[in-house]
Amino acid sequence: MPAVTLTHDPLSVDALIASVAGPEHGGIAVFIGTTRREADRLEVVALEYEAYEELARAELEAVASEAEALGARVAVAHRLGRVPVGEASVAIVAAAGHRPAAFAACRLAIDEAKRRVPIWKRAVHADGTTVWKDGLSAPVS
Amino acid sequence: MVTAMATQIDVTVLLFASLREMAGTDRVALRLPAATPVGAVWGHLPEPIRSTPPPAALRYALNDRWIAPGTPMSGGDRVALILPVSGG
Repeated sequence: MPAVTLTHDPLSVDALIASVAGPEHGGIAVFIGTTRREADRLEVVALEYEAYEELARAELEAVASEAEALGARVAVAHRLGRVPVGEASVAIVAAAGHRPAAFAACRLAIDEAKRRVPIWKRAVHADGTTVWKDGLSAPVS
Repeated sequence: MVTAMATQIDVTVLLFASLREMAGTDRVALRLPAATPVGAVWGHLPEPIRSTPPPAALRYALNDRWIAPGTPMSGGDRVALILPVSGG
């Protein structure tokens, strides 16, 4: 079973790399998603993440397993709670014998995680307003 | 009457993100007719949710597993409404 972490603490990419690195791997691809200062032309100070933790963990494990089927070892970590600008909300590490499988597995894992896993973000703007990115809400104070 | 009692089930609805904020709680207890499909839950939620149109991409989980909206519920079930996701 691939390593999947949901945590309210800052992510450790080094620990994630160490969890999948090994002498049989000649390439390690890393994707780190971070909080950007701008969203929808508004200044953002932080993103706040919320998960349906039981299903999010199961779905992240399924995504990582699909990525591993491309010939890599994969580890995934997603941060929950408040993630200030510049800090990492998600990290994916894929280690493989050669770089094509590492890149492919890393790409599949982040794309599928963003598409499927029940985690939501709320943007916290510099003017104090917040908005959920969940297809439902309008900006509120 | 026993027959009448058996026609009702108690389920828990888990709410996340803006649904949780609209309800002011992360779970709502509902008493519904037996075998109500999970897809019918929205219309039984407190205002202002039930008068808000559900997003077309709404998905459902039953007892922590993905489920089709036509699936009937049983007593004690835990239903989650999964709005379009935005992790990453």
